Amino acid sequence: MSEIPFKNPGWAGNTGEYDLTEAQIRGHDYVGDRPLEGGHAAGAASYPYMLPEKDPEAPLFQGPYQERFEKILTRYPNKRAALLPALNLAEEIRGHVSPETMDRVAELLELSPAYVRGVTSFYTMYNKRPVGRYLVQVCTNISCNLCGAEEVMEAFLRNTDTELGETSSDGNFTVVEAECLAGCGFPTCVQINSEYYENVSTKDVPQILEHLRNLAPGGGSAAASGSEVTPSAATEAEE
Amino acid sequence: MAENGQNTETVTLTIDGRTVTVPKGTTILQAAEELGTTVPHYCYHAGLSSPAMCRLCLVEVEGAPKLMPSCVTQVMDGQVVHTESESAERMRRGVLEFYLVNHPLDCPICDQSGECKLQDYVHQEGREHGRSREPKRIFGRDDFGGDVLFYGDRCVMCTRCVRFMTEVEQKPLLTVVERGNRSVIDTFFEQGLEEAEWAGNVVDICPVGALVSKDFLHKARAWDLDHAPSVCPSCSQGCNIDLHTRDNLVQRLKPRANLEVNQYWMCDYGRGHYEWMNRGDRLEAPVVRESDRSVAMGWSEALEALKTRLQAASGGVKAVVSPYWSNEDIGAVVDLMDALGGGEMVFRSPRAEDESVLPGFPNLARRRDLAPNTTGLAALGASRVGDDGARGGLEDIDAHSGVLIVLGDALVDVTEGFAESAELTVYLGAFESAALADADFALPITTFAEQEGTFTNHEGRVQRFWPGLQAPGAARPAWLVLGALAGAISDHEAPIRADEAFQTLRGRSSLFEGLSYESLGTRGARAGEPATVSGD
Amino acid sequence: MGYPYSHEKEVPILSEHFGDPEARTLEGWQKRGGYEALKKALGMSPDAVTEEVKASGLRGRGGAGFPCGLKWSFMPKDSGKPHYLLCNADESEPGTFKDRELLRWTPHQVIEGCAIAAYAIGAEQIYIYCRGEFFEATQVLATAVEEAYEAGILGEDAMGSGTRIDVTVHVGAGAYICGEETGLMNSLEGRRGLPRVKPPFPAAVGAFGMPTTINNVETLAAVGHILKNGAEWYRQWGTEKSPGTKLFCVSGHVKKPGNYELPLHFPLSELIYDVCGGIRDDNELKAVIPGGSSVPLLSAEEAMSCHLCYEGVVEAGSMLGCASVIVMDHTTDIVRQVRRMAYFYMHESCGQCTPCREGSAWVVKILKRIEEGRGTEEDLDTLMEVTDQMVGTTICVLSDSVAAPVQSSIQKFRNEYLALIRRGERVGVA
Repeated sequence: MSEIPFKNPGWAGNTGEYDLTEAQIRGHDYVGDRPLEGGHAAGAASYPYMLPEKDPEAPLFQGPYQERFEKILTRYPNKRAALLPALNLAEEIRGHVSPETMDRVAELLELSPAYVRGVTSFYTMYNKRPVGRYLVQVCTNISCNLCGAEEVMEAFLRNTDTELGETSSDGNFTVVEAECLAGCGFPTCVQINSEYYENVSTKDVPQILEHLRNLAPGGGSAAASGSEVTPSAATEAEE
Repeated sequence: MAENGQNTETVTLTIDGRTVTVPKGTTILQAAEELGTTVPHYCYHAGLSSPAMCRLCLVEVEGAPKLMPSCVTQVMDGQVVHTESESAERMRRGVLEFYLVNHPLDCPICDQSGECKLQDYVHQEGREHGRSREPKRIFGRDDFGGDVLFYGDRCVMCTRCVRFMTEVEQKPLLTVVERGNRSVIDTFFEQGLEEAEWAGNVVDICPVGALVSKDFLHKARAWDLDHAPSVCPSCSQGCNIDLHTRDNLVQRLKPRANLEVNQYWMCDYGRGHYEWMNRGDRLEAPVVRESDRSVAMGWSEALEALKTRLQAASGGVKAVVSPYWSNEDIGAVVDLMDALGGGEMVFRSPRAEDESVLPGFPNLARRRDLAPNTTGLAALGASRVGDDGARGGLEDIDAHSGVLIVLGDALVDVTEGFAESAELTVYLGAFESAALADADFALPITTFAEQEGTFTNHEGRVQRFWPGLQAPGAARPAWLVLGALAGAISDHEAPIRADEAFQTLRGRSSLFEGLSYESLGTRGARAGEPATVSGD
Repeated sequence: MGYPYSHEKEVPILSEHFGDPEARTLEGWQKRGGYEALKKALGMSPDAVTEEVKASGLRGRGGAGFPCGLKWSFMPKDSGKPHYLLCNADESEPGTFKDRELLRWTPHQVIEGCAIAAYAIGAEQIYIYCRGEFFEATQVLATAVEEAYEAGILGEDAMGSGTRIDVTVHVGAGAYICGEETGLMNSLEGRRGLPRVKPPFPAAVGAFGMPTTINNVETLAAVGHILKNGAEWYRQWGTEKSPGTKLFCVSGHVKKPGNYELPLHFPLSELIYDVCGGIRDDNELKAVIPGGSSVPLLSAEEAMSCHLCYEGVVEAGSMLGCASVIVMDHTTDIVRQVRRMAYFYMHESCGQCTPCREGSAWVVKILKRIEEGRGTEEDLDTLMEVTDQMVGTTICVLSDSVAAPVQSSIQKFRNEYLALIRRGERVGVA
């Protein structure tokens, strides 16, 4: 885990009361690198990551992902209940949930494709189309809004040179407006892929984006645990 | 509990000041129906589960902190319900106003207009003027495939269609996509309802003009249609239907509720097969062959001539009958044959390879037999010949040297020179028949859509139908024509009303034992079983 | 301790180990007395456990405040069916951020509470339904669950008791309405997260059609402490009707926002001005939302005399909800914030019930128009009437939640609306 080289004052360490590292705050020191095949079945449904590298063509499911999918199935009394975990897993691998993905998941769980479409469209975390390497979700709900969230969102759009919901020309960023992320005490709360960035102000935005650009291929280490391995690479390694 | 058949307990409650006693487990909405009170509703449908989401059927129940959804709230002893209290009416006015925030006011071009529940309820008790000044949400139109067209803007999101496809047809091809006020009914992208076989029902149960029939699109206004109770002629299930007619043409078929036969449904196959009822190539006058020419004449003259010829004929009688004609019509053929000393009767009927069962109500299927009255024909002594395309099998008939009577079957597969050796050929038909162009007698009869009568369905249920169309020219019901002939030959009184014709069937088959035309009502009955109450 | 700030007036029970990474681990948790309560509970009869919780008066921390022990006692005995315990970790009420802290700092505290509750209600399977966005917290929780399985705390023979207790970490996918208990059940079952009509209640027909109890994370986290120390111990804090301590999530215009664990009946004014260090820039207080965005706003005056317990906030004219205190200073543009909250509910409405589906969108359109200076005074009457038609007419209370901020703001800050409508004046805009 790398320390983020910019100031993020919302973290406890910065209030002067707690002396914590980023890894401790995020829990990475405790979690470590969890295995792609899902570890104990009890937690197998628990980790969809949002990874910078996606493979929209990756098979559903193969290798360690197939193993994880099968573990998930063991935890529910019927296949239907595995629908959200299965879609989460598919999105983790492919980056978004396309009609083909819905169709395949429907087949795996013996549901109708239309049913799966109905469920998928109900939930906002399923990207209906491809997003950039980093999905930047800026909370603009009340608590963050009171503290300038809309300006923060503007700053993300300006600094990535994108429109809301669109992907930047370098393929790095998609900025969207999010509803309350349950980080109200740390406004503005921004979720970037799997990680929360807290107490983000407009002046932090260029630094955050710079940091993320550095993580891009050739730019530095990966952002989230497990993200060193791309879905297709993992599958190939398993085969 | 209730499922164990001990559902004899009753509950007495008061609805709008009137007392009603209903079985335990009944909902308030159903109990109100018993009293003739319809609580306005959209999402509730007797044939589907109740999600209680339209919120229109909320009623005041004394002692309850909030208005209660009458479609799912079960009755309780001593309950006092008000469906028309100030709070219930105010709430309904509010909900109706909510619908109109986005519903387009396109009634002048909407097929549902005149039979639209939104129109009805708003006229009944909606606000005079809506208060919304905001632009309306636009979804546009979508072809769902099959016969179904979707107008998204008109949808009231009752989800009856989704539930029908999920619970009744059990092919979940429809879903609600998105959520909140972006919710819209849709299929799986480009996949439509093509593989559905019962999807036409979603048009029927749509309370507004969101789902409409392409076949019926802009064909007629609802208030210009006449409705005649009838029975679907497209298979042996005998779904109860209404013929919707205008300008003496059948415009569409709609299912008519019969909980024992078809519940509220009918299949797309049956629904789509009505054009033949509107055919124009009809026999319109009795035509009698005289040496080398055909002469049209009046009924009495023609029947007099036929009676003479029949009485003079020898060599026995054979008849080809059609399963699209009523029990009474076929019974009259039997009467005539009896009067002539007996004979043989065959029929041909199309058959599908298999049945198409409705999973949510498996008593209902598009049956293999694609004609409405094969059971009735068999009961009256006709034997099936020919293949599953209703072709062939007429070798014996072709070779017959006596009297040949053909009723209804236009013998479309028959080549020239058919039945040349027959002494006398009589064709009673609705449509012109090339094979029988030279018949000695060609007599115009009515189709089921133009006359009263009964069909016997695959399980022996005898069901009445009523005329929806006027018969062309001099066409008359076959039972009337043949009955008169048989009566004249054997010197019996001939039936002149349909119920009298039905009476003659008794004793001909156990299927008609103990049944009376009256007791059949609008929903039919089976011999030996108590008749269901009609008109409910 | 409060996180990221603490205060001496706090009573840190649930939050004692916030900010202490060692407490996350099984070893660290056990060192701090962890799983003693579960051990004790497994030695008692399930009914005795329920009775203890009942006696403590612990009320549900998810918003409704329903007595926890009473809820457990609704579960059928010897139903012959599988029972389920659902832990509601789909925290998404705007202003609320306590469950995420509980999950990421004290996952074993949550697991322990879940296990005790499951034992009490006869459930062998627990689903912890985590909000989809909580990637990091969920990882921590899942790791803790794995540890608990390895140590034999969970599994076929939980702590050697012969009782099976399984935990499955389930993850949502972004829908506020799945925080509603029956919406959560539908979502868990792989359906659209539509709230269900009640009755039947979850204790009779819940998840997968089986008897089910659903509790909030914070409620379950408190259970272990009550079992360990006794109901009387817990009742030393709070009031008769609102016993114990509560995590208060303070956000908005205070100097030190964050979670603070305080006894119920704590004065709101003291929370803002003492515990949280006062209003930012020492500005003037304008309004407070005491329980998350679903409850009515309190004016500054109402807030000053308000005591933070279930009955106290009702007396002040609002509801405690999940104790999410959103503080607004005098620079706040009330109309804009109310519009933002209404927009949230429009976005999150599941779309089943007509009043909510149509009403929430209509309300947003009117508010937007007012905000843009194109409103009329009549619009305010329309807003009041339209939101009135949204209260008590739907399956769940999301619809009522639209009415709360709209109606209370028009009642209490009518002048701000009128200033916009009549003169185009907006607060906070130069």
